[in-house]
Amino acid sequence: MTILQDPTVWALAAGVPVATMVVVRQRKTAESLRRQKRGLESELTALQGSHADLQTTIAELRRGYDEVVRQAKEEAENATNTVLKSAMQTLQGLAAEQQRAISGLQKKYGDSAVLRDLLDVDHMNSQFNRRAQSIAVLCGGWLGRQRDAASIYDVIRAAQGRIRHYQRIDIASRVDIAVTSRAVEPVALTVAELLDNATSYSAPSSMVDVEVRTVPKGMCIVIDDAGVGMSEEEKTAATALLSSGSAVSVSELGNPPAFGFAVIGALCARFGFTVTIDSTSPYGGVRAVVMVPKELLTDMPEPARPAATQGANAGTGDSGSAPATTAGDLPRRQNKRRAMALVPDNQPEEATAPPARSAEARVAAMGAFQRGTLSGRSAGVPAAERDTPADTHEGFDAP
Amino acid sequence: MTHPDRTEPELVSEAGELVRPYVITRGRDLLDEGAFALITLVTTSTDDQQRPQRLSPEEQQILEMCSSGYLSVAEIAAHSQLPLGVVKVLLSSLAEGGYLVTRAPVPSARLANKALLQEVLDGLKALSV
Repeated sequence: MTILQDPTVWALAAGVPVATMVVVRQRKTAESLRRQKRGLESELTALQGSHADLQTTIAELRRGYDEVVRQAKEEAENATNTVLKSAMQTLQGLAAEQQRAISGLQKKYGDSAVLRDLLDVDHMNSQFNRRAQSIAVLCGGWLGRQRDAASIYDVIRAAQGRIRHYQRIDIASRVDIAVTSRAVEPVALTVAELLDNATSYSAPSSMVDVEVRTVPKGMCIVIDDAGVGMSEEEKTAATALLSSGSAVSVSELGNPPAFGFAVIGALCARFGFTVTIDSTSPYGGVRAVVMVPKELLTDMPEPARPAATQGANAGTGDSGSAPATTAGDLPRRQNKRRAMALVPDNQPEEATAPPARSAEARVAAMGAFQRGTLSGRSAGVPAAERDTPADTHEGFDAP
Repeated sequence: MTHPDRTEPELVSEAGELVRPYVITRGRDLLDEGAFALITLVTTSTDDQQRPQRLSPEEQQILEMCSSGYLSVAEIAAHSQLPLGVVKVLLSSLAEGGYLVTRAPVPSARLANKALLQEVLDGLKALSV
């Protein structure tokens, strides 16, 4: 058997080229795959780059969108505020006008049974005006009235008149301090909102105590209710509103709108007083404290001097001992009202006391009277009857 | 935007009274008619020193007004610039508290009987004849 006859050799002879071909083909395939992979990899890097680019673009667009939305919202809010502000101004003007009309009617019908109803209407009008004021404040608007400086007691009573259950307010202390004219309305509105909260969240039969205390920084109005108090969350939310300044917009008040604390917060930021509600009242309810700084306080305005006390020196036209200027070197206002008439205390004595006149003068006067009577009668009565009624003037001859 | 503190000149004069009358009466009901007549005279019964501090400024004002003599209810209402009914409520509470005394108005003279007058005239005529 030769080597050529060995089938293995034949098998090898046929197998080697086939194997070589296979190997070569596989190498080629691997090479092309490798090339493909490289190509894909570079493509991937390029794509990743463009993806990052796209993401930055998207972020930019989103920022731009947010900005536009914010601007649109702001513009819409400004437009709403402007509309509301002017609408409220109209309402405030009408309420003030109505109040003057009611005042006039109250004086006109002061003695009739209509007065009772007029007082009720007056009360409703005050509440109405307060609502309009609150909305105006939230829109950055104007409070409606420039007042004279008023005592803190009167400011609290003004606030008291603007809430529904004003009869449940008890103002305990009287401090002789006045609020400057600029701060009268804001403080009154703030106290009114606090009193409204206090009466709304306490039993209808309970009283709300108001106390005024002087502190080194100014003056505090302390409002204590006997209500259910506030939870920690409520306190936090309220404190946030109180310190938010004018950041709360009308559209964020919810439905039904919760004005109170937002209004107070706006007023505090604008006028520089502070309100805290984080303590508990002695009755278990809420204690609200309004701290009015010294800058907003002033001396008591000259009280309206009752006319009758000036009766004694009314003739001189001088109010006597009152200094001509206030502590702030401003001219003190003189009260121009005077008593129209006075009934003296000792009138009966005066009526019985004889006029100081000498006896001679009295005789002379009586004589003149008698002569006049006689001459008058002699003119109208016939001469024959002239002397007959002598007894009618007999009494005048004495003494 | 307008400045919030700006005052509107045309509305300044519209500022009404700060304290409304129903707050001054503290929501007390008005008196029935006839409790105080317009010409009822009123004066203080105590000295200034004894005056309590718990009275409202309006009550103090009325007391001070009447301290030097009798004033009529109508005059007090005019001076205090308050509605008459409100003044009457204040006067009544002051009188209840013993700070004020009131004097009923002098009753107006009754009209004389015409027949009586005629009789007197006839008598006089009879005398003179």
